[in-house]
Amino acid sequence: MLDILEPLLFALLALSILGAGLGVVLANRITTSALLMAFTFLNMAGMFVLLGAETIAAFQVLIYVGAITVLILYGIMFTPQAPRSYGLFFQQQTPAGAAIAALVALPVMGIAFAFHDAGPVGPRGGDLPRLATSVFTDFAFPFEIASVLLLAAMIGAIVLVKREP
Amino acid sequence: MEAGPFGIDPLVWAGLRLFIALALAIGLVMNGALLLIYLERKIQAVMQDRIGPYHVGPFGLLQTFADALKLIAKEDLRAEKTDAAFFIAAPALVFTPMLASFVVLPFAPSIVGADLNIGLLYLATLGSMGVLGIVIAGWASNNKYALMGGLRSAAQLISYEVPGILSLVTAVLVVGSLSMVKITESQPGPLVNVLIIPFAFVTYFISALAETNRTPFDLPEAESELVAGYLTEYSGMRWGTMLALTEYGNVTVVCGIMTTLWFGGWNGPGVDAFPILGVLWFTLKTYAFILIFMWVRATLPRLRIDQLMGFCWKVLIPLTLLNLAVTATLLMAFPNDQLPVAIANWILVAALVVGLPMLQQRRLRRIRERLRTRTLGPATAA
Amino acid sequence: MTTAAGTLVPLGAFIALSAALFFIGMAGVLVRRNAVVILMSVELMLNAANLAFVAFSRRLGLLDERGSVFVIFVFVVAAAEVAVGLAIVLALYRNRPTVDVDEMREMKG
Repeated sequence: MLDILEPLLFALLALSILGAGLGVVLANRITTSALLMAFTFLNMAGMFVLLGAETIAAFQVLIYVGAITVLILYGIMFTPQAPRSYGLFFQQQTPAGAAIAALVALPVMGIAFAFHDAGPVGPRGGDLPRLATSVFTDFAFPFEIASVLLLAAMIGAIVLVKREP
Repeated sequence: MEAGPFGIDPLVWAGLRLFIALALAIGLVMNGALLLIYLERKIQAVMQDRIGPYHVGPFGLLQTFADALKLIAKEDLRAEKTDAAFFIAAPALVFTPMLASFVVLPFAPSIVGADLNIGLLYLATLGSMGVLGIVIAGWASNNKYALMGGLRSAAQLISYEVPGILSLVTAVLVVGSLSMVKITESQPGPLVNVLIIPFAFVTYFISALAETNRTPFDLPEAESELVAGYLTEYSGMRWGTMLALTEYGNVTVVCGIMTTLWFGGWNGPGVDAFPILGVLWFTLKTYAFILIFMWVRATLPRLRIDQLMGFCWKVLIPLTLLNLAVTATLLMAFPNDQLPVAIANWILVAALVVGLPMLQQRRLRRIRERLRTRTLGPATAA
Repeated sequence: MTTAAGTLVPLGAFIALSAALFFIGMAGVLVRRNAVVILMSVELMLNAANLAFVAFSRRLGLLDERGSVFVIFVFVVAAAEVAVGLAIVLALYRNRPTVDVDEMREMKG
């Protein structure tokens, strides 16, 4: 009885993710796209919990839904566009682009289904101590580079939008 | 999964537990908000030398009921050009993360919704999700002032998350675990964390005031500012949800966090014998902090948005980073000893309490000098 | 119906979902005109990559947490990239009030 729960949750989350992803690309209004993107992020966090990586799920919500979505919404508010017909939402290269994406997607998904899991699955909810140890000992150098990257991005973003007084 | 009482099926028991937890959380939040609104009005009245509500019920206790009934009975107004779906969804988006935060608050040794081993991270995450609802509320109102108010409020919230989370991280460094239950258990008896890391408590208190939109940081919801900010188009129970319920729920959660991290949570005399007494101690401590929040509201004037943001980025964040660096260094240098960390933290608190007024005095003196020389100049020339 | 390793949802399902989301995002980048929507589609692609990393990290049986560690760095890079990308879009919007990528062809040809 309980065995059906996990595949059911996976199916539900997967359908939501794919539906919301398509919604981001095809939506009528840009704010709908932004909120569907936030919905995708939330469902993705659910996927991470399903996989047993709960710390990553918490970070996903904290960073993506809490910060990046708000950033994108700010970007949308500050670049208002005149309303236009739905056909003008798409670039001139749309047929070619969509065709290439679809053509490459199908074989890749076929290959993807061929992966099999093996061996012991890690314990649920135990990933925080191992993650923390890894980040601060084995990967301390990338961690420092990541902080420098964030600093550079902050300064760059401020400089790019600064108005001349 | 274990079988429930009377041998109920485990899945049914899990579902039933979820339902009970949800009912308890909603009940707690609603009744808490009811009580807190009444307390706020009475306490502000006492501090302002007046009486407060006394008309409805004995000592005005039923005032909030009457207010809630009035709000529910109000016409459900929605301006025509507002975006229906987002306008209606925004209060829910703001309310739900707050409701979900109650699940990790440890009320008593075995009374905690879910003992997540990332409990504190979960609370920080939910705190940052509330910002989304506010931006949507501001945008969906199709009102320039509401939009600007929403963006300003969102800017304030995301700015003050940083010192808040950094203070929490400093506390976690000393405790060693993110699980709320373990944090409470690591402070047995009177040796509570506030004696060890008081500076983190001070900075978290200030960030919590800003995160829950309380004075002196309540620019988004003040009646005299920018019409009413992102709440302009909301009336009736929508306004009630967005403002009262969410704010008081958030205040309760944040005070619960402060109690757990710095004041020992459910610890108190008699808890070892009767674990259920933990609920009493936790609630008393949390409400003590809520009363302090209300005291601050009745006392301090409001900060402007630029003063608010300047304070966060130029004062609070450097201070919390300094505290984090000092605490981390001392913990690495003296691995099993908490005394150096305590000494450093109390020195920082003393520096703040003594140094900030001194800096303000110096600035005031300089401004007064400048004003004096400026007014003398043109007058003497004429 | 458990798989060989005793899990209920096979790894292939997660990877296929990740691939599908990645190509939806890629289609979004190639197809939409609004620069902010293109940034959103890039975020979708990064999410898909994260899902693949975490799935492989947890499910290949090596108990290797390096995949999850890399996901943390992907979070950092995604945040930095959105910030700078939006700054560029805003700067462009100031020059002429459009974020339509089909109209930004000053350097073309």
